[in-house]
This record gives sequence, structure tokens and C-alpha cells, in this order.
Amino acid sequence: MAGLTTPSFAARAGHLALRWSLVVALFVSWELLTRSRTFTPFMLPSPQSVLERIWRDGSSGDLFINMALTIYRALAGFLIAAMLGVSIGLLMARNAGLRWFLDPVISVGFPMPKITFLPVIVLWLGFYDTAKISMVVFDAIFPILTATIAGVRSVEKELIWSARNLGARERDLLWQILLPAASPQILTGLQVALPIALIVAVVAEMMMGGYGMGGAMIQASRMADSRGVFAGILEISIVGWIFVKAMVMLRARLLFWHAQR
Amino acid sequence: MLLNKQERAGAGVWHEHTSMSGIVVEGLRHLYRPKRGAPVLALEDVTLSVGDQEFIALLGPSGCGKSTLLYLMGGFLPVETGLITMDGAPVAGPGPDRGVVFQHFALFPWKTVLQNVLYGLERQPLARGEREARALAFIKMVGLSGFENNYPSQLSGGMKQRAAIARTLAIDPKALLMDEPFGALDAQTRHLMQTELLAIWRRSPKTVIFVTHDVQEAVYLAERIVVMSARPGRIKEIVTVGLDKADPELTRSSAFAQMSDHVWSLVRDEAIKAQAGVGP
Ligand SMILES: Nc1ncnc2c1ncn2[C@@H]1O[C@H](COP(=O)(O)OP(=O)(O)OP(=O)(O)O)[C@@H](O)[C@H]1O
Ligand SMILES: [Mg+2]
Repeated sequence: MAGLTTPSFAARAGHLALRWSLVVALFVSWELLTRSRTFTPFMLPSPQSVLERIWRDGSSGDLFINMALTIYRALAGFLIAAMLGVSIGLLMARNAGLRWFLDPVISVGFPMPKITFLPVIVLWLGFYDTAKISMVVFDAIFPILTATIAGVRSVEKELIWSARNLGARERDLLWQILLPAASPQILTGLQVALPIALIVAVVAEMMMGGYGMGGAMIQASRMADSRGVFAGILEISIVGWIFVKAMVMLRARLLFWHAQR
Repeated sequence: MLLNKQERAGAGVWHEHTSMSGIVVEGLRHLYRPKRGAPVLALEDVTLSVGDQEFIALLGPSGCGKSTLLYLMGGFLPVETGLITMDGAPVAGPGPDRGVVFQHFALFPWKTVLQNVLYGLERQPLARGEREARALAFIKMVGLSGFENNYPSQLSGGMKQRAAIARTLAIDPKALLMDEPFGALDAQTRHLMQTELLAIWRRSPKTVIFVTHDVQEAVYLAERIVVMSARPGRIKEIVTVGLDKADPELTRSSAFAQMSDHVWSLVRDEAIKAQAGVGP
């Protein structure tokens, strides 16, 4: 029987199978649908042919160039957004005047679809990496900013007082107390922002063209290459899955001290 | 009102020979102004003079403003009406000369027990090895040896409380402001910690203001007991204990029982008022 602390191999395999059963079911129905010939292979290529296509792109190296470019744009934008978002958020949380001044920009900017600025960005920055990364920063910064402000604002006052009581100076508080105390909420903001960064990177690539996973999919679509389009969807989902998992691991690593991570 | 007047006269006597040292509170009033809801008058006309190296216990019903008084003495809240001085100088902000043990511990959850205790010591002119040795000694004193590298989330309530006490004692403050510091401890540990606190107080004498709900604890530890009234907190009475703390049979003596009964009756009246919500 499976113990409470160390479940047996069979039990763990069973759990894993159950967790992924919906994803597997989706694949099976896709396969069945293509076999039933409801759709032409052009409208819905078979899973097998799509996997073959991914394999071929992989062996030719195209897949890795496109993936690397998209990941680079998403991560570069995400990191810039993280640095800016956390710094501005910390300042805003501590400075009522700054909060008062910047709050309207955030309240209008957060819910607004940033993609509407794409034509302007193209006019200013062109079609290259700067433009695409700027779009990512623009979109990913808001959840980080708001999470940081909320996190710092909810730090218990006794925690700040005890630091001051032990001799911390006002300017030590930001890095020594507020940032670590708010880190669970800041990390939640980062966890929301990372998938957004990937989404925006791909959409920007689709709209601006060039290399990258989004560009490759649009290219495939223009050439009526339906396998290429479906291969792109699959590839992007895998990258997204890796991003989400990596963030969960990072959180567990950084917040090992937290009771409920 | 009558009591209040008598009390102020009593405080004046103290004032005469302690005006320059110790903690002096005069005509202190504190109003909380929450963003939502009506303002709360937490303290009204509190006057109290705590002598240098004196051990004071603060008793009063829940919500009467004991923590508020400590926060004001600690310099965390601004003094709006009245005056608080320490050794003659008005309290202007927090500082390590007045070590505070907070009611809810306020440990840094991202630091281990050792790192928590070291935080205050790192801000003092001490050699690295000395700091470490000092931190470990106080961790040992509160009985947390073996838990130096645990995070607060891995400790029980009583262990957290002891870690917070070690952190404050380690910086060797001139005055100790303790907000129900033994509230989360079991009877056994509580007794050990009480004995230890008295020993520390004798070894390196300091002014102690000790908030508690436990009448016997107050009688056992303090030289004088300040009983506060239900909200808004005022000083109802100050009782001079005058028992021989060195007597090992003290807690079993009839003088101890009588003193406890007396203080208990004062506290009970206020607790009943607080329950009924009939503030003066
Ligand atoms: N930040 C605040 N805003 C508004 N009212 C407050 C605030 N803090 C405390 N109060 C009120 O002030 C009064 C005194 O609070 P305080 O915490 O000093 O009581 P206490 O004597 O320490 O109680 P306890 O024994 O339960 O710890 C209470 O009635 C409380 O409701
Ligand atoms: Mg309190």
C-alpha cells in the first residue's frame, strides 16, 4: 500500500496519468477527428503529421532559431518589466505623493489593450527587437507594479517597527524589510506577468513579421501551410508550459521560508 | 476622577527624585483616526513616572490601550497631546535604547532564529565573532538551542515568542518594553522565563515595563503595578508591591496571596466595565 509520506511508484504513476488525462484526451480526440475524415487534412492535419513537421523543423534548426528569438524577446521584456515594475512599485508604495500622481496612469493603462499602441510603436521604433520587446515591457509591467504596491502596503506595521526598534534606519527598510516581506505578493505578480510576456511577444511577432515563433506561424498561414500553423501552436504551448513551471520552481526556491508558498 | 487626582499627586512625589532619569509620561492622550469609521480615544490623560531601573507591570482589560502606551513610549506613534521623556529627553522616534517585545512577536519570517537575533546586533559596534556568540547565548537562554536555523514558520507560538524575547534582550537596551511577552507560553516555560527575566534584571539592571493579563505574574515580577481602566485608558491605580523577591517561598506566602487578591479586585472591576461597554 502507498504510505502517507512516500507513495508507491504505481500510485504516483496513477496520479500523473489522471492529471494529464485531459491533455491526452484532447490529443486522442484530435487523432480520431482526423481519422473520421470530417475535415480535410488541410483544415485539420493529423497529430502525427504535425509532430513530423516539428521534428523536421527541429532537425533543420529553424525551430530553435525561432524559439530562441521568441524566448529572448519574452524574457528580455519580462526582466525589464520586473526591474522597472518592482522599483517603481516600491517607491510608489512608500510615497503617497508619487502614488497620488501615478495612480491615474496605472488605472487607465492596466485595463487598456496595449496592442492598440502597436502602430505607434512601429512608427517610432520600427519592426525590430526594440519594438517587440517594448511591447512586452508595456504589457507585463502592470501586474508586477500593482502586485508590488499591494505587497508593500500590506506589510504589517509591527514588522517595520521592530526593525526600526533594532536600529534599522529609514533608508535600510526598503531593501532589508519591505522587499523581502512583500516578496510573496511580488512573486505572484511576476507569475502573472511571465505568460503575458510570452503572449505579447508572439502576438507582436505575428503582427510585425520576421523571425520568431509568431512570425513563422503567420508565414506558414500565408503559404497555406496548415501543418506549420498547428506545429506552431503546439510549440508555443510547450514553451508556455515550461515558463509557468519554471516560475513555480523559482517561487518555491525563493520563498522556502514562507509557511504557505 | 478622585482616584485620578490622588494618583497624580502620587506621581508627583515620584517625579521629584526621578525627573532626569527613567521614563516620564505626562498628560498623555492618544486618538486613533482610522481611515474608515469614527476616531477611537485609546488613552486619556495618562501620567506616570517610571524610575530608572524600576520594574513596572501594566495591567488592564483588553482594549484599554496598553499596547498603544507601549507604542508611544517606543516612539512608533507620534505623541500629539502630552509628553513622554526618557532620561529627560523627549521621545522622538524608535531607538535601540528602548527594546520592545511585540505582542505579536514581529519576527522577520524570511530570517532564521539566529539571523533574527543577529539583526539588531549587526547594528551595534561589535566584532563579528562577538555578535554571533552573544546571539547564541541568548538563544540558549530562552531554550531555543537546536532551533537556530529554523524559520519562524517552523516554530510553535511559544517558540516564536521566545525568539522575539531573545532578539530584544540581545541588544541590551536601557529600557525593556514588553507587551505580554509570556502570553503564548505554557505554565512551565512561563515560570522559567519569569525567573530568567528577574535574573537578567538583577544582573544588568534596566527599566522594565511589562504588560500582562496575569495578576500573579505582575505581583511576582514587578515593584509597582499600574492598573489601567477600561477604554479610554486612564491610570486607575498604582500599587506598590513591596514584597521580598529573593524569598524562594514568596509565591506561597500569605502576603503574596493578599496582594494578588487586592490587585485582582481592581482589575476585575475594570474588566466588568469593559465587558459591559460602559466606558467612563
Ligand atoms: N490602528 C488603530 N486604529 C483604530 N483603533 C485602534 C487602532 N489600534 C488600536 N485601536 C483601538 O485602541 C484601543 C486600545 O488598543 P490597544 O491595542 O492599545 O489595547 P490593549 O490594551 O493592548 O489590548 P489587549 O490587551 O487586547 O492587547 C482598542 O479599543 C482598539 O480598538
Ligand atoms: Mg495589546
